[in-house]
Amino acid sequence: MAVVREKGYAHWDGRLVERRRPWWPITRTGIRLAFRKKAFRFFFAGGFLPAFFALGGLYVSERLEDFKALVQSNRALLRIDPAYFRTFLVNPPFLFLLLIVLVFAASGLVADDLKHNSLQLYFSRPLSKKDYIVGKMSVVAFFVLALAGLPWLLLVAFKLVFAGNLRFLAAYPLLPLGILGYAVFLAVFFALLFMLLSASSRNSRYVSILVFTTYLFSDILSGILTGIFRTPYMGLFSLRANIQQAGSVFFGTKPPLAVPPVWSFAVLAAIGALSLVVLDRKIRGVEVIK
Amino acid sequence: MSIEVKDIHFRYGRVVALDGVTASLGAGAVGLLGPNGAGKSTLLRILLGFLVPERGEGKVLDFDIRRDRAMIRRSVGYMPESDCFVPGMDAVTFTAYFGELSGMPRREAMKRAHEVLFYVGLEEARYRLLDTYSAGMKQRLKLAQALVHDPKVLFLDEPTSNLDPTGRAEVLELIRDIAANRSIQVLLSSHILDDIESLCETVVILKQGKVAAEGRMADLRAIQYSLYEVRVKGDAGLFRKELEAGGSRVDETEDGLIKVYMPEAGDRMDVFRAAARTGAQVRYFVKSRTSLEDLFAGVVGVE
Repeated sequence: MAVVREKGYAHWDGRLVERRRPWWPITRTGIRLAFRKKAFRFFFAGGFLPAFFALGGLYVSERLEDFKALVQSNRALLRIDPAYFRTFLVNPPFLFLLLIVLVFAASGLVADDLKHNSLQLYFSRPLSKKDYIVGKMSVVAFFVLALAGLPWLLLVAFKLVFAGNLRFLAAYPLLPLGILGYAVFLAVFFALLFMLLSASSRNSRYVSILVFTTYLFSDILSGILTGIFRTPYMGLFSLRANIQQAGSVFFGTKPPLAVPPVWSFAVLAAIGALSLVVLDRKIRGVEVIK
Repeated sequence: MSIEVKDIHFRYGRVVALDGVTASLGAGAVGLLGPNGAGKSTLLRILLGFLVPERGEGKVLDFDIRRDRAMIRRSVGYMPESDCFVPGMDAVTFTAYFGELSGMPRREAMKRAHEVLFYVGLEEARYRLLDTYSAGMKQRLKLAQALVHDPKVLFLDEPTSNLDPTGRAEVLELIRDIAANRSIQVLLSSHILDDIESLCETVVILKQGKVAAEGRMADLRAIQYSLYEVRVKGDAGLFRKELEAGGSRVDETEDGLIKVYMPEAGDRMDVFRAAARTGAQVRYFVKSRTSLEDLFAGVVGVE
């Protein structure tokens, strides 16, 4: 029969607090849930490999005499400047690795809540739609900053430590800001992109497929259109190319496409705006079918 | 009154869900009764601020349903009708998580989560992944997350739906225990008459978005009429009209059973007199037990 505790219902004698950042428990829980997935932990750890390679390069660049045999004709590759960082951070394999990590961490952010009807539980709490969206976006932002921001800022510090002086910083004073700016830009863009795609389906597996399809298909489409129309502007159809264009601005290097980078920013901003519109329509406490 | 709504109107597109609902719900356990589509869940969602009414006003614990949504949600525990959980979580994490989102300090939320999970009988399964929970366990879990922040009002939307008889009895027992605790008001929405009858002191019956009846259970149960079930041979229509002229309310089922709701002042012999006057032969006559079901049938028209 019934399993009611002998002592019956007991009140809680604490007091509810009003949080300045009510979205923070959502972010913290999202991060913790991601780390419970084995595959995620594997790829997340793998996401630090480029930074380790870059660290090796930094070390060797300061000990050229010791590694004479190793470097020989590759000295140009070991010139440490903003382009060195850009080579690692803006290259397609790194972006793809980032995408894989985020697929494991963020595909289900909204899709799972839609599938399991948990939005009504969130919104029966003193949470606004904005709190929910910021909380979920921050999960994506955390992982992007963890892979594309923090390690690379540390590398700048390592460079100074290996050199034993501040000459590098004096030569490129804006580099740390460039790395930070690029990481924040990536964090915001990927957060909006993943929220958009995650809100587009109730099934996180479909979302994962959608992420890869969008990323790769945009690249293929751009390639085909460029072949047909023979204009670099067709590169704007590629997500990857747009991110690389934007990246070149942050590192002060030559953009890969012969197109003003402002166009790429406009394309990415349009995707972000679309994401906010979709989220505004999809995220609600109760699904209203009219 | 802790919950008051006045002239609430709401529609989903062209479908009218609530059409001028006015009600005052006092302390204790209050039942929100009505057939599917009567507007019960919509009313709960309006009280929680999920939906904004087209017209009308309302208050929950003196907080305005349009302006003070955050305060209402802080004071209310909501157990939705549909299954809802966060995959990949265990019950303790889940319950503490929603406690924290309600404004509880993190450690307190975790401690309290253990307490309420013990209370609802999930102590053994509290570290199990929610994805593996049975329907009954999910129902208890929903109750736990609604209770974790110790709300002043508890909104329960069809709390016994999809449960087997044992699970239903257990959940009802829990709700009865909570309702017995006078400092928590329970608003129970259900289309199951037995649930409302066994738990609630007051009931509001909704029919097609309108309040069909409202009042204390004891008053409503002591229905101001006697119910007789009659079968006649002859002109049943004339017989019905004669009874209605005498002040009774009369319903007829599809199989010809005539239900006579006779005012308490009436005399059962009036039935036979009406039959004699209209030339009908009474072939079956039973005084039926009046219950919430009769009231429900009377006001909602469900047989």
